[in-house]
Amino acid sequence: MKTKHIQHLYWRIGFGISPPELKKLSKQSKKVIVDNLLNDSKKVTPLKLDTSELDDLLSGSYEKTKENIRKVRTMSRQKTKELNVAWVERLTNPKELLREKMTLFWANHFVCKDNNYVYSQQFHNTLRTHALGNFRDFVIAISKEAAMTKYLNTKQNRKRKPNENFARELMELFTLGVGNYTENDIKESARAFTGYSHNLQGRFVFRKRQHDEGIKTFFGQSGNFNGDDIINIILKNRQCARFICEKIYRYFVNDIIDKNHVNDMTDVFYADYDIANIIRYMMFSSWFYDEKNMGNKIKSPIEFLVGIKNVVPVNFKKQKQLLYIQKLLGQTLLNPPNVAGWKGGRNWIDSNTIIMRLKLPSLILNNAYISKVKEGTSSSAMETKKQFFKKHYGKHFKTESDWNYFNNAFKNVDINDLKDHILACSINKTANEYLKSLSKVSKQEHCVQLMSLPEYQMC
Amino acid sequence: MDRRKFLKKSSLASSLFFVPSFVKAFEQVTSMSLGYKRLVIIQLSGGNDGLNTVIPFRNDLYYKERPTLAIPKSDIIKLNDDVGLHTNLAPLKRLYDDGHLSIINNVGYPNPVRSHFRSMDIWQTATDSDKYLQSGWLGRYLDNYGKHPYSAIEIDESLSLAMKGETTNAIATQNPKVFYNLSKDPYFKNIYNHLDDAHLSEHNLGYLYKSMIAAESSAKYIYETSKTVSPHKEYPNNAFGKQLKITAQFINSGMGTKVFYGSLSGFDTHVNQLNTQKRLLKNYADGIATFVQDLKENNTFKDTLILTFSEFGRRVKQNASLGTDHGTANNVFIIGEHLKKQGLYNNMASLSDLDDNGDLKFEIDFRTIYATVLNKWLEVNDEKILNRSFKQLDFI
Repeated sequence: MKTKHIQHLYWRIGFGISPPELKKLSKQSKKVIVDNLLNDSKKVTPLKLDTSELDDLLSGSYEKTKENIRKVRTMSRQKTKELNVAWVERLTNPKELLREKMTLFWANHFVCKDNNYVYSQQFHNTLRTHALGNFRDFVIAISKEAAMTKYLNTKQNRKRKPNENFARELMELFTLGVGNYTENDIKESARAFTGYSHNLQGRFVFRKRQHDEGIKTFFGQSGNFNGDDIINIILKNRQCARFICEKIYRYFVNDIIDKNHVNDMTDVFYADYDIANIIRYMMFSSWFYDEKNMGNKIKSPIEFLVGIKNVVPVNFKKQKQLLYIQKLLGQTLLNPPNVAGWKGGRNWIDSNTIIMRLKLPSLILNNAYISKVKEGTSSSAMETKKQFFKKHYGKHFKTESDWNYFNNAFKNVDINDLKDHILACSINKTANEYLKSLSKVSKQEHCVQLMSLPEYQMC
Repeated sequence: MDRRKFLKKSSLASSLFFVPSFVKAFEQVTSMSLGYKRLVIIQLSGGNDGLNTVIPFRNDLYYKERPTLAIPKSDIIKLNDDVGLHTNLAPLKRLYDDGHLSIINNVGYPNPVRSHFRSMDIWQTATDSDKYLQSGWLGRYLDNYGKHPYSAIEIDESLSLAMKGETTNAIATQNPKVFYNLSKDPYFKNIYNHLDDAHLSEHNLGYLYKSMIAAESSAKYIYETSKTVSPHKEYPNNAFGKQLKITAQFINSGMGTKVFYGSLSGFDTHVNQLNTQKRLLKNYADGIATFVQDLKENNTFKDTLILTFSEFGRRVKQNASLGTDHGTANNVFIIGEHLKKQGLYNNMASLSDLDDNGDLKFEIDFRTIYATVLNKWLEVNDEKILNRSFKQLDFI
């Protein structure tokens, strides 16, 4: 497989690729590479923190939990922050790369959050478990997650007092897309999801007495449907396969949909709703590697951050600062804006986030310093300048960056070829000329220069 | 012909004849500083207890439902025979007496949600409680009517959804100098200097370059404009005071910003409410009073409207921990010089006709307030921004 194509593939289904890894793969065929990616992600490694204290608070009676509700919330807030940090770490060093990227994708599809950590951790791992599985099983599992029954009020959805929140979002955001159902479909399907609830430990409970056993008419069919039946009926509609394929296409291929490609994907996905299959199909297709699909996407804040960490491992001495950066960049994991999720694409970028993105690599890796030493001049003054920067701006983020790792990983890469590894698209003319006028003092300084370009925001 | 008309006419003339550009620039500045209306939004996060803020002290139910949490009659600052303000809102009473305060009672929306997160989302996106939007109402104002990103500024380190549009986002900054310093590394300028337009029309990468140039110029504009005035007014020494101080500095410097957004948090008083709310309301009222005074001294209060809201009110009945749980409708404060209806805009909510949860039934949809502010104050098409037509109120 062509190096350029491998790099592209790894940016989209991962967070970039290191030169030694790239060299290893460059001798392999597309089939071997794609199959390995899928095989390597067969296993599921859940991401779990120690929750024994919380479990204990949730193991007794409702009264006991109610008494301790404040404690549960406080501990949950703390644990959620820890899971955020652990998740970023997981994305940086994953055993199952493709599964992890898919988990990140689904987290912005089945959007949910909860103030009980036990439920949100369980939800989080359900995303991981089904990330490459069958979409039907996935939707059914999501509909029964404690966090989701709370988030979209299925818990309050009772026979004589239906709550339509989940039924509406199930169709609008999770399966069909807006405009592909009627208000009546929502009303009728909400009745099918009555009685959904969970116990204190977060396991699904079906409250039969709250369930509406009457006949529901949904998408032209009538019967005493339950929630699973409704999901089955929805999935019979080809629009559901199309809706998911469009989302996958926009996320992994291009913001702008190519109708023919999405049509082909829909045919494949509609046949069995197998997520691994559709991702394999996409990775195999020749259009995935079309010139216009390469280096044209704006990285999400997490792709940007994890991408940096993959080139230069950087450790945040204060976990709070890692969360703070996510906030500044506009994407805090486990804290989505609402059930519609992050808009993505160009919406990641505004006046604040663009400045933060351009400045961040130098801030966390190089004491805010970007080398501007002119070509042909001595770099002796640079060290003094760097010391000055360290003193004045280096205090902002308490980080340790492992430049030894970088120097080792890039030791066989010529400094003039560094851009081909750091950037996913070519540099615009003006920036390129400016870079040419500067001295390439070291690979480290040049790497920071490249990461400080708008081009580095592309993948 | 008055001065304003004259200037308008002469700016028309300047486009017909070749008037030196510095004269044109002067005219634009002048016409802007004449009647430039600004909106300041203050968000009280956590759900302020409206019933202990604007208090129906003649209503026995109030004391009955809150045996240990009600504010004693003697401590209440009376507005009339029935209604009074919390002890620490004395500065608001002065605004009330001056006719600069309008209190809109019982504001909410149909099918209220009691989750902070979701209810705030509804207030910020101005949507129905069963719909989800990815843009905020002020963001959509910016999309349609904002000329620059800095047309709306949030005094915070990151943006609220309220300030994010479909295509344009506002600026978030607590410190214009830091924002400017981050943006002004000469490295960035050299990257885009001499960049031609052809490049900027390129797909996503061109968009990044455009955003970068706009951000740099906004940061520079905000920093350089704001430093033309040196704030000397003493503000309360807390985070909210600092926000207002910088907002006043922005306004008094004549910055071309139409919307400012600030917030004060900590109102989620489930436990031991009395002291927490006391402290927060003091921060709020003292800050606002100083802010209004600052604007008055700089002759900018007349062009400024301040709207204060919270995502919900709290339950009528106190809970077992000397606090209150999440409720529904709440009061909204409108502060400005040109209020049509000063004082209490409408009656207090009924404390006997409650919903199934024991919460107030709202009377005024918050979006009618937004619609009024957009239409009558910012003078734009409110329907375009709220995606629907709402009744106009007559407080301004």
